[in-house]
Amino acid sequence: MVREKIAPMRIWAQLCTICRPAQNWSGAGLVAAVLALWEIAARLADIPSYLFPTPMVVFRYLFAHLGDLLLAGGVTLLEAVAGLLLGTAAGVTLAILILFWQQAEQGVMSLAILIKSTPVIAIAPILTIWLGFGPGPKVIVTALLTFFPVLINALTGFRTVEDALLDWLRSLNATPREIFLHARWPGARPFLFAALRTVGPLALIGAVVAEWMGASSGLGRVMWLAYTSLNMPALFAAVFILTALSTAVYQTIVWLEKRALFWVYPSN
Amino acid sequence: MKALDIRVDALSHFYGRFPALQNVHLHINCGEFVSLVGVSGCGKSTLMRLIVGLQPPTQGSIWLNGQPPAVARAAKQIGWMAQQAALLPWRTVLEQVQLAQKINPQNNSTAVAHPQDLLKIVGLNDFAQAYPLTLSGGMQQRVALARTLAIGAAVWLMDEPFAALDELTREALAAEVLQLWQQFQPTVLWITHNLHEAIRLSDRVIVLTPRPGTVAGEVGVPLSHPRDDTSGEFQVILRQVRALLRWEKNDGA
Repeated sequence: MVREKIAPMRIWAQLCTICRPAQNWSGAGLVAAVLALWEIAARLADIPSYLFPTPMVVFRYLFAHLGDLLLAGGVTLLEAVAGLLLGTAAGVTLAILILFWQQAEQGVMSLAILIKSTPVIAIAPILTIWLGFGPGPKVIVTALLTFFPVLINALTGFRTVEDALLDWLRSLNATPREIFLHARWPGARPFLFAALRTVGPLALIGAVVAEWMGASSGLGRVMWLAYTSLNMPALFAAVFILTALSTAVYQTIVWLEKRALFWVYPSN
Repeated sequence: MKALDIRVDALSHFYGRFPALQNVHLHINCGEFVSLVGVSGCGKSTLMRLIVGLQPPTQGSIWLNGQPPAVARAAKQIGWMAQQAALLPWRTVLEQVQLAQKINPQNNSTAVAHPQDLLKIVGLNDFAQAYPLTLSGGMQQRVALARTLAIGAAVWLMDEPFAALDELTREALAAEVLQLWQQFQPTVLWITHNLHEAIRLSDRVIVLTPRPGTVAGEVGVPLSHPRDDTSGEFQVILRQVRALLRWEKNDGA
């Protein structure tokens, strides 16, 4: 019985070892395939570039304006990362507040859900009116968009401590602060990274949406300008840059996660 | 380290309206090794948690050296071991043992040993830098044992610490606990449902009846160590313990 169960596993493991290089490239391969299909379909259907440009047209535009696009992307990336850090800090702080002061839970969560369910497109223009066209409103919008998943995951992480571990710590008369420092905080890190994987790419969307509502620079502004002048290659070029940045942010978070959670990923 | 005596007086505990323990009396002398046996769900673990003071009893009282459990706990005199080793996956073996001394540090016993030496005692000196998830269940419990030694606890409360291990490892570790008990002379309260183990280790075996948990009786084990499971005296004691357990079963049915 046991051997029957193990044999397919072993074959699978061997297959994985053989295919590992292919696996690493499968993501890039898939993207290339989708782009190729898009190119062929758009050419065959003979869709004009001002409606739906082919990837070739988009890339031509992208490389012709690479400097400007990268600069815009850099601005958006900085806003997104600043907002992500702010939102994460706020989420973690609120989770700690609720953990140590249970009475605050109802109030904080109600307020958090209120903010969470207010559409970003309603807040962004108001913030732009108040704070101007600089990066300020973008950072705030991004923070508002990212703090909620972090809050929920951090709180769940803090509360998901093995009972046996809590009992042992209490048997030593550990203070709530010691229990937090030695068990709850390190134990919540897998939950925190799960939240960061979700909100990392979301942060860029937040920054772009805020920029769309009025900005002096950034990918959102590039998109808005392209949109109002029906410059589809420019619009898609900005989207391509945004997608690349989003992937980079996600992969950076995964890279950090593997280092921070070495006990979850023992092979590293 | 000075051993403490444990006194449980007229202890009753309820979960809601369900009585988990009823009118339990116990007295465990300084430096004594006492086993508590009974079927699963008879309230053994509840009794242990009450003695550690992880929760207050509904009725009755518990005294460690004449003082409430909170005092002994604050003084880091209680060494607690459960079925799960309760290790922190992000700390090395050595860091686990150091943590026991790092928590509530102002109350460390004056006789605390160096963590590295303790790892030597439990046979883990080659694994100081290993992480718990890379260790076997038996080795994880050795770390927990080293942690118990690290605080120089006067009372060892052991709630089936080796129940999740295989029979051979379990026997080997129990024998080591016995040796450590002789060396450090703490008061030990050992929970198990393995009668052989209880008789092999302890000075006294106390039988707990289920629903609600009450003390059915106790059997002294006046045999010298090492004890032979197959000897006549051992079998006599085993029969006495079994009789108490059977009596409890008839009583319950």
